Amino acid sequence: MPKSVTIFTTNTCGYCSMVKKYLSNKGVSYKEVNLDDEPQRQQEALALSGVLTVPVTVVEKTDDSREVIVGYNLAKLAPAIA
Amino acid sequence: MSKVHDLIIIGAGPAGLACAIYTTREYIDTVVFEKGVIGGLAAVTDVIDNYPGFPDGVGGLQLSDALQKQAERFGAKIEFGEVQKITKKDKVITLHTTDGDYKTKTVLVAIGSEYKKLDVPGEKEYYARGVHYCATCDGAFYKDKEIAVVGGGNSAIQESIFLTRYAKKIELLVRSTIKASSVLQKELQKYIDEGKIVVHLNTSVKEIKGENGLVNSVVINEDGKEEVMKVDGIFIFVGLIPNTGFLKDYVELDNIGLIKTDKNLMTNVPGIFAAGDVRSGATLQIASASGDGATAALRIREFLEHKKLATY
Repeated sequence: MPKSVTIFTTNTCGYCSMVKKYLSNKGVSYKEVNLDDEPQRQQEALALSGVLTVPVTVVEKTDDSREVIVGYNLAKLAPAIA
Repeated sequence: MSKVHDLIIIGAGPAGLACAIYTTREYIDTVVFEKGVIGGLAAVTDVIDNYPGFPDGVGGLQLSDALQKQAERFGAKIEFGEVQKITKKDKVITLHTTDGDYKTKTVLVAIGSEYKKLDVPGEKEYYARGVHYCATCDGAFYKDKEIAVVGGGNSAIQESIFLTRYAKKIELLVRSTIKASSVLQKELQKYIDEGKIVVHLNTSVKEIKGENGLVNSVVINEDGKEEVMKVDGIFIFVGLIPNTGFLKDYVELDNIGLIKTDKNLMTNVPGIFAAGDVRSGATLQIASASGDGATAALRIREFLEHKKLATY
């Protein structure tokens, strides 16, 4: 299990819902940063991911390493939270 | 030997989930595979105004959630993974997926389609750095910015209207003329009158340019005259293409890659059916995709009962 998970989302993003559903199904809790509610944090999402898109999922692992996953990408998300 | 399911549906969009609702209600053991988002393109559409039963329209996400819940209520199992290849031996079909092999008596291919690319310089390089294909996902990054939207069909107009909630100005680049429904065109006119959307007919995109890794302009050809248009981002909705590569050489496709079926929605391979946007001849509407899913469910039931499918 990761130390923490943060997801950058927007209100209307279908792929964001999928990431949230996937994490909930796996019993992984997460913090959500909704960029519609907090537009001032868009630069933070861009700096982390290098792209202007959501979802951006930031997985902090127990060894303090960090993985940033862009989009609904199960091939990367599944091992990152294992 | 691993379990042989009655039906595996590839794709959890409106066609796939409508089929799952019908088959699971009749106790047909059904598994649905989805590699992306439940609801497909419908889920990433802001508002769906023409799906029957919703007098005020319905949010794409809301409709997708409702379809999923309805299918799961009757026992449909949704698995996340990608089907990479299909093989058939005797009467058992094997789906080779990223999660291993699954065996089944019948398959419904309902994988929908994805947005077509422009295929111009800069498009790949600036993907998600100013080049986008999903307004509901990425529109929030363009608050008070100037953007271009490419396309003249329903999706382009619908998404342009959605994007006005963020962008201060939208340049709508249309290759020939606007082909969206008259209802959407009437809605569009309000935003044109307000100066929020400017329409450029007979205009094609030649190149997407940027600076420091982000888009800053597009090179367009408007009425034969080339010019550079300063924009912060470009959203592209120029039609749909099927994602049927994994079926090539196995199921018969038409010249653009859509799956050919008979009147029972069955392909040239007995037991493999197709429904929704991926079916050759489909009308690319959510309502008709749902109808396709229901029709396929009834035909699949007949097939499983070893009935000879009617050819009317």
